[in-house]
Amino acid sequence: MGNRQDIRVILGSLRYKSAPNTTLLFNVPLIQTEKENVEFDRSIDVDLEQVFDDERQNSDIIRPTCKFSLLFQNVYSGFTNYPPFENNLYYLNSASAAALQCLSGATTISWTGVPQYNEFDFIRTDYNVSGYTQPPNEHLTFIPKSASSYNWNFFVSYGYENDYTKPMRATDKKTNIILNWIVGDGIPFIIENTVYNGRNTVSFRCPVKHGMSVGEFVKLSFSYNGTDLFQIDSLGVSTFGSEEYVFNIIDVGYLGGTFDDGVTGTAKRVILQDNELDTISTYYVRRNKILTESENAVLVKAGFEQNIFGEKKKYESSGFTPDKVARVSVKEGSQSYTLSFNKDIRVNPIRDNQKRPITELFFTVIYKGYFGWMFGIPNGSGSYYGLKQGWEFNLPLNSFGAPDYWWSNSNSNSDTDFPMGSYTTPISSGYGPASGPITFTYVESIKEGDIVDGDCCEWNDYDQKERVISNIFHKLTFNPFSFRIGVNTANQLGYYYQPHHVLTTRVYSDYIEDGDIRSVVGIPDYSHFSTTKNLFIWRDLYPYGFVDSGGIGVTYPFLNGVHYPFKNIIFRIIPEGTNYNEQTIIAEPTIDPCE
Amino acid sequence: MSNKFLFTIPKGDKSIDLPIEIKWDFYGRDDSIELYEEEVLVDIIGVAKDFEILRFSHSPYISNQKTEIKYDFYFYDSSTPVSASTVSTDWVNSYLFPNANPSGFSSTQIYYYEKPFTKSFFKLDFYDTKDTQSQTNYFTIIIPVQQGATESASISPLRPNVNIRKPSYTLDFVGDKEGFFIYWLKNEAFLNIDTFYMSAKFFDGRLGVFVKMMNEPQSVLSDKFIFESSRYFYNKVVLDYTTKTYQVFDYLDNRIGAGTPIKWYEYINP
Repeated sequence: MGNRQDIRVILGSLRYKSAPNTTLLFNVPLIQTEKENVEFDRSIDVDLEQVFDDERQNSDIIRPTCKFSLLFQNVYSGFTNYPPFENNLYYLNSASAAALQCLSGATTISWTGVPQYNEFDFIRTDYNVSGYTQPPNEHLTFIPKSASSYNWNFFVSYGYENDYTKPMRATDKKTNIILNWIVGDGIPFIIENTVYNGRNTVSFRCPVKHGMSVGEFVKLSFSYNGTDLFQIDSLGVSTFGSEEYVFNIIDVGYLGGTFDDGVTGTAKRVILQDNELDTISTYYVRRNKILTESENAVLVKAGFEQNIFGEKKKYESSGFTPDKVARVSVKEGSQSYTLSFNKDIRVNPIRDNQKRPITELFFTVIYKGYFGWMFGIPNGSGSYYGLKQGWEFNLPLNSFGAPDYWWSNSNSNSDTDFPMGSYTTPISSGYGPASGPITFTYVESIKEGDIVDGDCCEWNDYDQKERVISNIFHKLTFNPFSFRIGVNTANQLGYYYQPHHVLTTRVYSDYIEDGDIRSVVGIPDYSHFSTTKNLFIWRDLYPYGFVDSGGIGVTYPFLNGVHYPFKNIIFRIIPEGTNYNEQTIIAEPTIDPCE
Repeated sequence: MSNKFLFTIPKGDKSIDLPIEIKWDFYGRDDSIELYEEEVLVDIIGVAKDFEILRFSHSPYISNQKTEIKYDFYFYDSSTPVSASTVSTDWVNSYLFPNANPSGFSSTQIYYYEKPFTKSFFKLDFYDTKDTQSQTNYFTIIIPVQQGATESASISPLRPNVNIRKPSYTLDFVGDKEGFFIYWLKNEAFLNIDTFYMSAKFFDGRLGVFVKMMNEPQSVLSDKFIFESSRYFYNKVVLDYTTKTYQVFDYLDNRIGAGTPIKWYEYINP
């Protein structure tokens, strides 16, 4: 029994939540250097289900795949005098423009329209359009192998690290007060004193879901009489759904202006008052590390699948186009796509942003826009304003119906800092600023190993859980030199999209394990030592294919010795000001104590 | 007690072997047997093998700008037997052979996509070797006749000419894609073959027969019917696992299909 020091016996029910207590047999081997030699025939029972499960659990190779249903509403109309672009619009004023051109003979008539769907589609199909993608006088010569990477690039990424220093900004919808904070400071709020359930209450209205519960505590960014920790008494005000955005403390008669209406600050969730340090939440922007190159993505059309909105196209008669060429122009498409990668992902060596084994991969989609319809405004430092980034709370229009200041060119906090590429074309000469050429700009492809910003999250050591507070969005705006949609080029209307789409590869248990290192074997290296419990705490990592009684777990195909997780993704390209919350969750009827 | 035993006084030393039953083996032998046991189990049950496939596209050429691969198929007017006077232009890049015996497709069949036409297809077979005695056909690419370039033809004297399909294919990432990609095993360890030999056939949906294709017309052969099959029935295809691309080579290992079409000519039996 040379190994007796390494053996610990634990109760079956402590192994994982739904595990039963079982009778355990413990074979005590006598110490020996010899082994019984079994003579003659040997037999062994082979359990194929067990063999399959063993192979499944031992494999750490993931081949992520997904299907994209692309939803897009092509709304921003504009004009351009650059012939390759002007000749390929989906026209909105073709009759009047054609009449004007016919009567005046002018060549600079503004043909108003929207860029065709090919400028937004995942796979471009306009490979043979004379005067645009083919000679003569083409904008550029189409390279077929780039058809699926001209507009968008596709990657696999994972949560790699946390950024606690990202500046944030939100606008309180009710008062239009601007909230500026650093993400690590917590959840921003604005105070409003109310009467709730007959009691004077201090309400903290947040622009994001606060994630707090009644009975928990909140640590404010300011203090009252030396204390900054207050217990949450209730959630919400009288409006529907406000529970997630408003938390309340009892107004016991606070003096002075600390809790006056309109006071702003930030709050952090604290689970236990007794041990604030151990149970306080941290807030950060999760940063994703790219695991693949853009060339690794294999994007193809998904069979015959189309979205329910169908294709919107029309015939442009030759008499109603500026170049007198008839064609069919497409405003919106409906094709779905499947995405896979020719590179396998080995997950065992990878740790997530909480230094735990990864349980989530992300399909990361980045707009490239090589055709040059977007961006293009010089930033004064030799480059161009490119993709902007913000979070869901930055999306609503301001009270004037314009994009929030967050998205303006002058706000460098919203820059993605993706490198920008640029080019000019011979035919654009004379159409750009100062009668020079137009500079067409695009986002250069990011590389494997690059780190990009992701969702805004909360983590609590005591809870051992990460919560996404707000999803990140990217915004693209038109290049006013090649396609102008309005006069305000410093903060244009644009399109948003969500770049990271989570793919759950494994899950952590919904219960928390704890154990003393001296008495419990198998405490994982990602466990946290809780000073509240004086024990290590962690969440178990469920095996592949295990789904507990609460429905938590993952099960997806395992074949070829490899895991094949799959995800259906609705990819939205969202016009500014659109109601992007597509999921309306009907709340359960409230049951009061009388019922 | 009868005395059956006779003891004689030995002349020399004697020894008695006493057998002692030993169930205990030297350290490690049984471990080896267990290892062997595992090997046997693996042989019996098998381990998970990776049958996943990769998509290989045609390797770019002309400064990485072009990727298209072209196949041109030429048919012979069989109303005239192949002879010494046959010339290469007797093979024509068209499905139309009104004078042939049996005749080719009619322009109406092609234009209206009638079933004898749409059920026809080109079949590219990929073998591991050119030796017909030992080769294995590992995979096949089907090129449907609905793809391809067009030619002008008349389907009625009462109406203008129309464009109908002809057996000339330009395959690429966009446009006509069927047959452009080669799908082959991702894991090289399982079956390490990256060089294949491609032959071509045409399935004639009218007659239900396969027509074999050669990489040069029989007119160029000194003996029209006796020739080295490995030379004239195959082109070499090499997969590149690094770039996930493939290239096609002729019998002299010159790359073909990079800008110019890969030509296949109908083989005529004597």
